[in-house]
Amino acid sequence: MASTTDVIRVENLRKYYGKTKAVDDINFAVYSGEIFGMLGPNGAGKSTTIEMIEGLRVPDAGAVSVLGLRQPQDAKAIKQRIGIQLQTTALYPRLTVTELLDLFHTFYPGQRTVPTAELIRTVDLEEKADTRSKQLSGGQKQRLSVALALVNDPEILFLDEPTTGMDPQARRQLWDVVESLRQRGKTILMTTHYMEEAQQLCDRVAIVDHGHIIELGSPADLIQRYFTDIAIQFQDGQTSAERYAALPGVSHAATEDGRVTVYSTDVPRTMAALLEREREGGGVLQNLNVHGATLEDVFLKLTGRALRD
Amino acid sequence: MSTVLSLYRASIKEFVRDRSALFWTFAFPVIFIVLFGLIFSGSSSPSYTVGLVNEDDGAVGNALAQTFGQVKPFTIKTGTREAELDHLKKGQIDLVIIIPSGLSQAVSSGQTAKVQMVYDPSGNATNAQIVVNIVQQVLADFNSGYTHVTPPLALAQQTVTAHHESSIDFLMPGILAMSLMQLGLFATATPLVSLRQDQVLRRLGATPLPRWKLLASQVMLRLTIGLAQAAVIVGLSIWVFNVHIEGSLLAVAGVVLLGALTFVAIGYLVASLARTVESANGITTAVNFPMMFLSGIFFPLALLPAFLTPVVRALPLTYLADALRQVAVGSVPEFPMMVDLAVLAGWAVVCALLSARFFKWE
Repeated sequence: MASTTDVIRVENLRKYYGKTKAVDDINFAVYSGEIFGMLGPNGAGKSTTIEMIEGLRVPDAGAVSVLGLRQPQDAKAIKQRIGIQLQTTALYPRLTVTELLDLFHTFYPGQRTVPTAELIRTVDLEEKADTRSKQLSGGQKQRLSVALALVNDPEILFLDEPTTGMDPQARRQLWDVVESLRQRGKTILMTTHYMEEAQQLCDRVAIVDHGHIIELGSPADLIQRYFTDIAIQFQDGQTSAERYAALPGVSHAATEDGRVTVYSTDVPRTMAALLEREREGGGVLQNLNVHGATLEDVFLKLTGRALRD
Repeated sequence: MSTVLSLYRASIKEFVRDRSALFWTFAFPVIFIVLFGLIFSGSSSPSYTVGLVNEDDGAVGNALAQTFGQVKPFTIKTGTREAELDHLKKGQIDLVIIIPSGLSQAVSSGQTAKVQMVYDPSGNATNAQIVVNIVQQVLADFNSGYTHVTPPLALAQQTVTAHHESSIDFLMPGILAMSLMQLGLFATATPLVSLRQDQVLRRLGATPLPRWKLLASQVMLRLTIGLAQAAVIVGLSIWVFNVHIEGSLLAVAGVVLLGALTFVAIGYLVASLARTVESANGITTAVNFPMMFLSGIFFPLALLPAFLTPVVRALPLTYLADALRQVAVGSVPEFPMMVDLAVLAGWAVVCALLSARFFKWE
């Protein structure tokens, strides 16, 4: 985050589908060179928002400016300067990685483009350069689609749920690619419902729920803002959180799917009380786990719900 | 334009690498041609219509004429030399046998007289050979009744080029028309809907690629496939089943292109109306069946009951089959050529306009 120039500015953005308020008065700005993440569960309005910024959907109300240009009036000029990761390469599944990248070069006539070989290096697909896209694994396909989005050397890259459905190893490989793009100073706007991904990659995160941004800041700031305490998680076979709220050192308790999370400012005293209670038969402590707070905890605290797929 | 050509090259590569699409695109019409070719071009009905011209008024000539009348595979029609030769040239009869005047006199004076036979060797080689054999056999039998040293009768063969239309001649343009229709329906509408359903169209909208360029490349691909199918069908018909192409191949290619364009436009219209792949399949099947059976591609329109005439005249396939028959095998027109071409062009323009109006990208 070298500078704080706005490259994207979103004001009072709304999109309604009938009575459903998919996006309801969203405001934020993305700065040049940062990775900005929109974190939230499926259906929170992240994709609708990012697609309105990309120009794929028309807002019902509000203003979107990208690189100083306005959507949707300047959509064509904007498309030439941004890169959007396509979730599918189903158009020509029998073309090779190299052939598809070469084809996409012709979509940007008269523009400077990045050579195909360099793009393949960037997304670490050298060994698959001559493989047909339908034969790639899910993770390799996703890295190919990132490469396709980088053909025009875009000033802003959009990634919509880039690692959904991937195994952990494939996810790590994609994160490495995103990290390398950050080092080259690319601005990236991404959506995700994996808090770990947001925490790992994003300089700033907007937490989105029910079409609103409910919090915005760097992952570290958000965690600090809500938690000076440590999370103690366990299963007790019951679902009531209230019975733990009054224990010594506990600031807050929540449950989700039978799993209890107790936030403590004084772990030794809280643990002692929990063990005492278990000895007396007042509950069991299965799958006990003690950790510092994550964005997941922030989301849970803000919405009372876990961030799951 | 270079973007369109790149997309076109990409789609050709994609098509050629799709083995199953490749197989069905060419196997289906080939199977039809081979099947119908085997059924209809064999000598399963060895019956020949003979125009018999007896110019001799003697006993030998009359006896010979009678003998020909008893040949089983021959149906005899008699008439003047001019009339029968004319019938032969129009393809109404298979051969003309001429018993020249003075034949009886020549035979009785011990000379060899010549019986003339006129036929078209190009129509069907097997048939021509059979006919010549039959006539020679008849003459040999006749000669054996005489004890002259020199046989009294000899055969003078003469060939002409006549317009023949065998069943395979009729069917080849029909099968060609059918495959162009199915190119537009099954190979255009359904793939387009699935491109939309898989969000490929919407996602490509995220690049500066203008939509018309993608569409142009897709239409060019279909036209190329249509021409390739036509080449396979016409080629097979010529080399394997001896179908004689009357018009120029260029004219055939022109009509094929117009027909492909018409049905691709109909395919786009179907893709505009259908929301899902399933409904696209439903519509194409519903369109395919009446066209297959009511457009005269497998049998002449005259065989259809009169109350179906308005339907027949509304279907574009009727006109494509008729136009192809005219340029390919020189059939007697059902409609004037200009009417065929105008109706096809009309369907193409109307469907293209409706598609432009109703086609949805997402």
